[in-house]
Amino acid sequence: MTKIDIYSGFLGAGKTTLIKKMIQEGYKGQKLVLIENEFGEIGIDGGFLQDAGINITEMNSGCICCSLVGDFGKALQEVIERFNPDRVIIEPSGVGKLSDVIAAVQKVTGHDVELGYTVAVADASKVKVYMKNFGEFYNNQIETATTIILSRTADMKQEKLDTAVALLREHNADAAMVVTPWEALTGEQLIVAMEGNSVKAEELAHEEEHHCCGHHHHDEEHEEHHCCGHHHHHDEEHEEHHCCGHHHHDEEHEEHHCCGHHHHEHHHDEHCDCGCHDHDHHDHHHHADEVFTSWGVETAKKFTQEQIHEALHILDSGKYGTVLRAKGIIAATDGTWIHFDMVPEEINIRSGAADIIGKLCVIGAQLDEAGVAKLFGV
Amino acid sequence: MQQIPVYVFTGFLDAGKTKFIQETLEDPRFNAGERTLLLVFEEGEEEFDFSAYPHDSVFLYTLNQETVTTKELQALAKKHKAQRVVAELNGMQMVGDLYTRFPEDWVVAQEVMFADSTTFMTYNANMRNLVMDKLVGAQMVVFNRLEVGQDTMPYHKIARAANRRIDILYDFTDGSTAFDDVQDPLPFDINAPVIEIKDEDYALWYRDVTEEPEKYRDKTVSFKAQVAMLRRDKNGMFAPGRFVMTCCIDDIQFCGIPCRYEQAQTLESRSWVSVTAKISVEKHTLYQGELGPILTAISVEPAAPAAEEVATF
Repeated sequence: MTKIDIYSGFLGAGKTTLIKKMIQEGYKGQKLVLIENEFGEIGIDGGFLQDAGINITEMNSGCICCSLVGDFGKALQEVIERFNPDRVIIEPSGVGKLSDVIAAVQKVTGHDVELGYTVAVADASKVKVYMKNFGEFYNNQIETATTIILSRTADMKQEKLDTAVALLREHNADAAMVVTPWEALTGEQLIVAMEGNSVKAEELAHEEEHHCCGHHHHDEEHEEHHCCGHHHHHDEEHEEHHCCGHHHHDEEHEEHHCCGHHHHEHHHDEHCDCGCHDHDHHDHHHHADEVFTSWGVETAKKFTQEQIHEALHILDSGKYGTVLRAKGIIAATDGTWIHFDMVPEEINIRSGAADIIGKLCVIGAQLDEAGVAKLFGV
Repeated sequence: MQQIPVYVFTGFLDAGKTKFIQETLEDPRFNAGERTLLLVFEEGEEEFDFSAYPHDSVFLYTLNQETVTTKELQALAKKHKAQRVVAELNGMQMVGDLYTRFPEDWVVAQEVMFADSTTFMTYNANMRNLVMDKLVGAQMVVFNRLEVGQDTMPYHKIARAANRRIDILYDFTDGSTAFDDVQDPLPFDINAPVIEIKDEDYALWYRDVTEEPEKYRDKTVSFKAQVAMLRRDKNGMFAPGRFVMTCCIDDIQFCGIPCRYEQAQTLESRSWVSVTAKISVEKHTLYQGELGPILTAISVEPAAPAAEEVATF
């Protein structure tokens, strides 16, 4: 099985740097072919690729200002037949539409070849002006990608970063968005995000209700994020069996989803193959939903532990409704990450690993969501 | 009809267009109170500061370059009784597409391109058609953000390959500037009794002879080309020329010059010929009725194809 991953993004967005990181940290042990359809500022040097055992193909027939020249599909087919790779990584022209590249790739997909990650790399400091001035091809990259990875977020003013994130969300509500500076993330975390398996803010505090397949002893580090959740360790064998139902893959995989997200419950009976023998908890969860509301946001905002402590105390006071549980993974102003948990009369704040974007989740009854948002300043 | 001069500033985002326009409009030598329509087709990080202008006579409009119509432009000029127009264009659009929508009485007085030297090479490698589009029409290009002591030849080569007559100004990070005074001699001798054009120089010669036909008046030229027939002048005329690629396979076009030749009908279309001909300057439908180079054949002989069938610059 060959998967074809596409890393789109305008010139200078950082595609090559990201691909380099993914080769070093994310695609470990896989046989890779890299297809470059752009002359980058920083080339991936041959030595590096040789060390990593990667074949590189440049599809620059003369000039590549046209996003896809000639027989792209044919060339891709040849590369797959010749090298039989696990992954083909495509870095298309920065001024091309991602949907065009996907369409070209889909001419080749079939029994043994599948479309993999479709990523848009966006320079966070340029999102606003590019959207305003570039028009279609830029928005097409943002709208078509299943993962949006922002670059150069580290030195940006908070306000500008928030605006960029909001603009991107306007154009793509579903994509996983990576806002955290890449140095703070591992290639594996990025893979989880690209697989669509990063936990969403609104799901953050739900984990108990979702645990169902009892596999968490396989991956202790991830247990709070996933319920059936062993698949990212066994991507190849289990990819068709995703069962926690992360919505970014809904379209392709919806018949396989089984546990977890209520909007798919009509599939459960017929199609569950994840070994969840007990679906009661879905219903349970549902009923719970009717009484309790869950508020969740993604945010690039940075906090101090003191701010969080104060906010959680106010939540616990009942000012914004009866809070049952609050949970967050957020960036701290000092560059570290804060993880917190709150249940009535119990607050736990600690330092932890970075996530792809800050996430806040509050579950409660008669929750004043606007008030909560204001409390956290998001 | 009173003509309205248009000062056009092109280049990509973040190339320094707005800053330059702002400084120019602050300068009383350029802004003596003329009623100026300032049209912005690209909204970058920099913003215009009207409070710094010596006169209250600048009228700013932000417009969409793709969709703006002649009528809209006309209406704006009329509304403000504009005496001149300053336009900041969108780098991702073709300049010519906008010019075709300029009202008739608008005349481009000057077109200046701004280029950030730190991104220019990447942009040129990946969006050559857009870069060429800006270079080809500009009278001047400003390469800014150059490091002091940086080699400017790579920029010179790209700019002059696109436009032989363009003025080049280098703007260094320490605030100093330098005019490019490097000469680019043509690779053929235009004063020779017969100007011999080598196969690899056809594109360059074609551009030069069509841009400055007077330079070649009454001279004799010899070159290798493919035969094309003219739709209107079937008798006694053909157009020897080559397929020329500026940027990529998408922009290949046939560049031929009308040539009087009595046995034109005997020639086979697309066959290769060596042409020796005298150059005159005449009006022709191929030049939209304007003056252009016209050849009169002295000899037309069959020839072997050029090693590279498509000519490039």
